[in-house]
Amino acid sequence: MTPPDSTARTAVDVADRLHLPEPWEVYGERARRYEVHFTGPSIELVRGPLELEGFGLRVFRPRDGGFGIGFQASTDLSDAGIRTAEADAERLAPRTQFPAKRVELPGPRAGADAAVEVCDETLWARPMDSVQAFVESLLAPFEGQSGVLPTFGSVRATLLESSVRNSAGLSTSCRHTLVELEFAVRAVGGPEGRPPGEYWVNETTRRLDPDRAGPLSEEMKRHARAVREAEPTPTGNLPVILPASVLATILPPVIGLRCSGAGRLRQMAPEPGAALGSELVTLVDDGRVPWGISSGRTDDEGTIQRSRTILDHGRVSELLYDTRYAGVFDTQSTGNALRGRGGFYLDWRRFLAPPALASTTLVFQPGSGGSDEELAEAAGDGIWLQQFGSAVPDPLSGAFGGEVRIGYRIRHGKIAEPIRGGTVGGVVLAPPGQPSLIANVGAVGSSPELVEGVATPALLVRTLSVAGAA
Amino acid sequence: METVSDLRDSEADFSRALGRLAERTPFAEILAQADRGAGVRMDRRSVTASQTPRLKGAVIRVWGGERWIEGATSSLDPSSIARATDSVLHQLSKAVPGGPPPGEASTLRKEWTERPARPVGDADPDQLTALGKDILAWASSVPGVTESAVSLNWNDEERYYLNSAGAKAYQLLCRAGGFATAVAVENGQVEFDYLTTGAVGGWERYGIFTEAAVTEIAREAKQLLTAHTAPAGPMEVLLDPATAGTFAHESFGHGTEADQFLRDRSYLSPLMGRVLGPDILTLVDDGTRPEGFGTLRFDDEGTPTRRNLLIDKGRFVGALHDRVTASALRTTPTGNARRSDFLSRLFVRMTNTYIEPGDQTLEELVQEVKDGVLLEHTTSGIEDPLGGQMQIKVKKGRRIEHGRLTGLVKSMALSGKVLDVLRQVRGVSRPTDFVMTPGFCGKGHTDSLPVGSGGTYLLSTAVVGPA
Repeated sequence: MTPPDSTARTAVDVADRLHLPEPWEVYGERARRYEVHFTGPSIELVRGPLELEGFGLRVFRPRDGGFGIGFQASTDLSDAGIRTAEADAERLAPRTQFPAKRVELPGPRAGADAAVEVCDETLWARPMDSVQAFVESLLAPFEGQSGVLPTFGSVRATLLESSVRNSAGLSTSCRHTLVELEFAVRAVGGPEGRPPGEYWVNETTRRLDPDRAGPLSEEMKRHARAVREAEPTPTGNLPVILPASVLATILPPVIGLRCSGAGRLRQMAPEPGAALGSELVTLVDDGRVPWGISSGRTDDEGTIQRSRTILDHGRVSELLYDTRYAGVFDTQSTGNALRGRGGFYLDWRRFLAPPALASTTLVFQPGSGGSDEELAEAAGDGIWLQQFGSAVPDPLSGAFGGEVRIGYRIRHGKIAEPIRGGTVGGVVLAPPGQPSLIANVGAVGSSPELVEGVATPALLVRTLSVAGAA
Repeated sequence: METVSDLRDSEADFSRALGRLAERTPFAEILAQADRGAGVRMDRRSVTASQTPRLKGAVIRVWGGERWIEGATSSLDPSSIARATDSVLHQLSKAVPGGPPPGEASTLRKEWTERPARPVGDADPDQLTALGKDILAWASSVPGVTESAVSLNWNDEERYYLNSAGAKAYQLLCRAGGFATAVAVENGQVEFDYLTTGAVGGWERYGIFTEAAVTEIAREAKQLLTAHTAPAGPMEVLLDPATAGTFAHESFGHGTEADQFLRDRSYLSPLMGRVLGPDILTLVDDGTRPEGFGTLRFDDEGTPTRRNLLIDKGRFVGALHDRVTASALRTTPTGNARRSDFLSRLFVRMTNTYIEPGDQTLEELVQEVKDGVLLEHTTSGIEDPLGGQMQIKVKKGRRIEHGRLTGLVKSMALSGKVLDVLRQVRGVSRPTDFVMTPGFCGKGHTDSLPVGSGGTYLLSTAVVGPA
């Protein structure tokens, strides 16, 4: 169990030396990072501790009926560095314009909030040893094997102490851990004349679970062999099963924008009550999912995390807000201010950018679709998409899709031969009555899995556009 | 104007650290980095002015006998540099003694401090805001285009490299970039089109944001609302210059990063010296291009950048190297050892990767297509170094039927085997079509850094589908 508070003091130390009028907010972070990189079974590079400590300062100044918001981040924690950041933020605020009618920063709370598991205590206590032990566990299943080999990989573990203090009197802090795993496995030998096949994963989690390393390696071996043996992807409008690992790359960017105050302000959000999805679809944003990469007692503005239903049996229910967008629409923040979502994926330099409005963990309510095998049976004739090259959804139009790195043909209700190449695509959300991923959900599996920003069972989408070479 | 910080002020502290490290290792190097910059982002509802975080620091790399060891600090005061040095020395004390590090150490001693004729950072910040407002107004002048956005920014980056072999090199890189998006919203549907720029240089980089260009993307965004869904299946594909550049980068360039050779992870590795495409195809990575977003004076091992020929008239002739891969493959470093920043590890990376122009016109290429599609305005791509597959996504395109451009189509993904696509290249358009576009490239899913990608119109065959 994660202790309710850490001793992280970066924000407090900075805030104590501020000389600013209200409202203001300081987000502080101290990070230590440990990395092990390997090529084949050999350790190539050991890095760490890589140390980074800094803060992001936001000031809010009334301007033209709204607010000017100035932000500056710095690693200079000296008095002079803090004064410079203050001056920067104050200089930027008059050049910024945001249509919030009010800015209501979260204040101190009475009583203790329930903790959320986001800190791997073993990793925290022995970071480099833990990373090295995990790498050994990952590579052990390949010893003495010749047909399937580790190609390369890295484990990058970050220990974070985050703290928020603001002019409303809030002072909160937490410890948390993030682990980035990259691992590629290749299969050689097998069908005559075929090139090697590689299965390559990149994922961010909260913990290094040594019990997971072995099964992960075995699963990767299976998919690497499948890549080698894969046949061309078929063409047509076909039923497609999307597992959690694929949905994690599709849903958050689109839902996080379109079903939020940011989407509402720009007239892209659906109307409350609109029937966008299949009745099988109930989608909740929950910032308290244990080990969720965006979970915590509070969001990055210090607002208490909770769950909110975005789609209730296919109908639009709540939208997501942070403090800024709540101020536009006279509502309350839903605890969806997150840092580290800009740029290139989740990162550990989180204090460098102001918080942005985003989904935390999108929880797809499990359905009665049953196991993977039962979903395949319901699909009849279609494909199981195991991995995209990259889904890269377009949050504005909602379009998503990409190359099939590896998938499996479904024939007569059974998962059959592996397939590869070609594309699968569609749109996540569309106006009521028009086809979309959400509208075309034909069955929802029964066993959810937490993968980065989603906790979801596999979904059977009745039809998506599949373009293959076959 | 604010005084520009200069990493060379810390030279004595870096030299002291290198001296301590050199007593315990055959090779040590320090790369320090600092950034200064600002930007403005605006849409119809909001304006955000920003300033590059005040972040600077240094990474120390030493040879530990069998492997590299690294430590980093985000503070450059003498005590922080000394503490980072202690941390690396501690790691070194646990290392197994071995031979010298692979490859030759740089001995470069040079400084590059020149700035563009009109640095964006020297201008009044309100000038950027005014340009942004003009762009928004041009986009909004098209009926139905109500939600548009503009982002304009500049960045001055210093990198200072020193090593125990005597290298001491400093570079200042001034970059300017921008992105304009015209967004059309109608009955719950949203579509957009965009213009982008980014390169080393100054104010001149914003020259692409003309009223004509911005209103054109606004009209396209509006028309995309009613455009057809992309066709699906194998077909003739005509890539616009930016998409051809992404093809060069994602589909081929990543496979020539020689660390993938050492990982036995490049489908291209056994094909060196072989003919992979027609003689109209020449592909280059060049870190010295004056208009590139990935332009550098020297890489993060202190090796000067240069023009590296990868495919010469259809023949695969070269790869990209750092000192380790160059040593292993008995060649010389090519100036492609790059770190995203001082907190990130070093990899072999591309700089500006492009396909050299041919001699056909766009009209001639279109006339060659019986049934195909023109792919325009790349949005992303991803590599598959071992499998040799490719994925490129574009925002829009046009059907080509019987030698004529016909209807607009919505976003698409391009897939296929790179070698098949290369073999089937049938035409490359002439130099007047050449465009170099900016992008951020990851090594896998992390370690993003600026690169340029370029080309002219390129005709081949691939699988296309909606995405």
